[in-house]
Amino acid sequence: MILEKLLSHGKKERDVTEDIKRHIGLLCTACDTFKTAVERDAPDLMENVIQLEREGDSVRREVISHIYEGAFLPYLRPDLCKFVEIVDEVFDLLKDTAFYHLSTRLPERIKDDCIRVALLNFRMCEMLLITYEAMLKGEDLREKTLAIRIYEKKVDDLKYDLFEEAKKVEIDTFWEGRMLADLISGLTTISDIIEDASDHLQIIYVSMR
Amino acid sequence: MKVHEFMSTKIEFVDAEKSVYDAVERMVDRRIRSIVVEFSGKEPEYGVLTSRDIVFKVLAKGINPKKIKVSEIASKPVACIDINMDFEDAAKMMEQSNIARLFVCDEGRIIGLISLLDVMAAELVAIARGNHDS
Amino acid sequence: MWKVLSGVFLGWSLGANDSANVFGTGVTTGTVKYRTAILLTAFFVLLGALLEGPKCMRTVGDLSRLMPPEAFWCALAAAMIMTALTYLAIPASTSQAIVGAVIGAGIISNSADFSMLYKIVSCWVFTPVCGMIVAYCLHRIFGYFLDRTQMSLARRNLLYSAGILVAGCYGAYSLGSNNVANVTGVYVGSGNLSPGTASLIGGLSIASGVLTYSRKVMMTVGKGIVPLDPFSALVVVLAGAITLHVFTQIGVPVSSSQAVVGAVLGVGVVGGVKTVSFKMLGKISLGWILTPIAAGLLVYLFITFGGI
Repeated sequence: MILEKLLSHGKKERDVTEDIKRHIGLLCTACDTFKTAVERDAPDLMENVIQLEREGDSVRREVISHIYEGAFLPYLRPDLCKFVEIVDEVFDLLKDTAFYHLSTRLPERIKDDCIRVALLNFRMCEMLLITYEAMLKGEDLREKTLAIRIYEKKVDDLKYDLFEEAKKVEIDTFWEGRMLADLISGLTTISDIIEDASDHLQIIYVSMR
Repeated sequence: MKVHEFMSTKIEFVDAEKSVYDAVERMVDRRIRSIVVEFSGKEPEYGVLTSRDIVFKVLAKGINPKKIKVSEIASKPVACIDINMDFEDAAKMMEQSNIARLFVCDEGRIIGLISLLDVMAAELVAIARGNHDS
Repeated sequence: MWKVLSGVFLGWSLGANDSANVFGTGVTTGTVKYRTAILLTAFFVLLGALLEGPKCMRTVGDLSRLMPPEAFWCALAAAMIMTALTYLAIPASTSQAIVGAVIGAGIISNSADFSMLYKIVSCWVFTPVCGMIVAYCLHRIFGYFLDRTQMSLARRNLLYSAGILVAGCYGAYSLGSNNVANVTGVYVGSGNLSPGTASLIGGLSIASGVLTYSRKVMMTVGKGIVPLDPFSALVVVLAGAITLHVFTQIGVPVSSSQAVVGAVLGVGVVGGVKTVSFKMLGKISLGWILTPIAAGLLVYLFITFGGI
């Protein structure tokens, strides 16, 4: 058992880390697609976002099963899995938000701000990937998690203004209003969860010192 | 990194004919350090009023803010930059003109504002992204 | 020759009880598979016994003037106490059991060498202290270098996995080299066996205990004392191994359990945190106090009523 572990030179571990990298990469693509879909008001692109979430789901399942097939110290496994689950949460919320966008008409007065938040979400995903890679290398994560926090604060600022503007929108039915509220809420909560994910990377980094 | 990613888009406007008192009221309420002054005319002209202007030129001199108009102490024209300018260039501009904020304009319209704080935040993010050689 | 059987019994119970000090944390955290752990332990214990076992034999053998029958009773008494404690899942010290028994026999025959006893007892006291100091130093020094080194997650992972394995093997070796004297030292003292043969028989009997009955205590020691991160677990095992090895050079058999508990405390001190479960500590302390007394009493009973 030990011999095969030494001989395989950590192949299982490499597989897992590559898979997780792929997972985060998919999330970045999904966020980018989402932003473009809002800019161009393109439902087919928005559908892609939902597709990407499904793909992300299957990658997540692969990762978790690979981890428990024997990658990494048992001490580390729960934290790694938790990280993947949090990224999955972002995916889920993004998918829901995409769905809300498909089900409702986005008022012009808040469209610009929505696009800005979507861009910030995308930047945060990119930053999460950078942070993850730094964690793998064993680098200090402080400046990366700081950048994510800065982005998250920006989204928070926009969130307040978005809701204020949204109040001025005329709605015809309860569900129209509800969908719009859920859309804005989902869009602005994504950044919170990404921040959670980056905090968890810090936990993994610290636990292995 | 481009300025449009870190600019603030919540710009407050005040009419040039209003009193400084009105401007201060708005600024304190919204917790902002500068406000764009709109001069009415054939073509809209813009100026800017900062907290520095108000405190140094009016309050410190003991002048009643209700008795002085915004147009009397606002600075014209507004220092404008393009949305695709790099942050480093914006920082250089701020240093050269000794000003704490720049307005981001798109085709003559003011669409955003970057402050010293925004420049600092952008720098932190740029370092984290590894955009710098440091 | 059948008299040696009680020694074999003793060795078996030692293997069952003490192997947990080597791979206990490794197995309960899932780092090392149980089967791998016991196989490695058995092999390295035997190696340690053969290569350096004789160094401590004289100490045990010369505590009292032992005739072959007495040697038999001593080993038997110690073995019974150890088995009982193993069954109750309390890590206990074979050194104390056998020394208690031998002194007991010595008191009856008026040949107990108390100056040697003082040397031994002071070594017992110093064992956890030594474990604590070594663990603290290792943690500080290695920790300092590890903190400054940037290492990929995968490499650090491999380092800790391999480290726990290597430390465990060393720990087993130290255990064998130091404790085999407890098992068959009495026979060297009584002249039944030569040190070399005693080491071989002792080593084999310990290995057999490791392979057959160590599961119970292993699950307790690993979980019971303290939850450790991989680095600390590594330091604890290494510190315990070094401590035992040092005492082997001094020539006194000591308790691997005490060395490990000292090491755990040493690691805890680094963080300034009380990481030991007091309930477990209490259980262990009780074992340490009662063991030599019980063994001594049992020997007294055996010799008096068993007939010489």
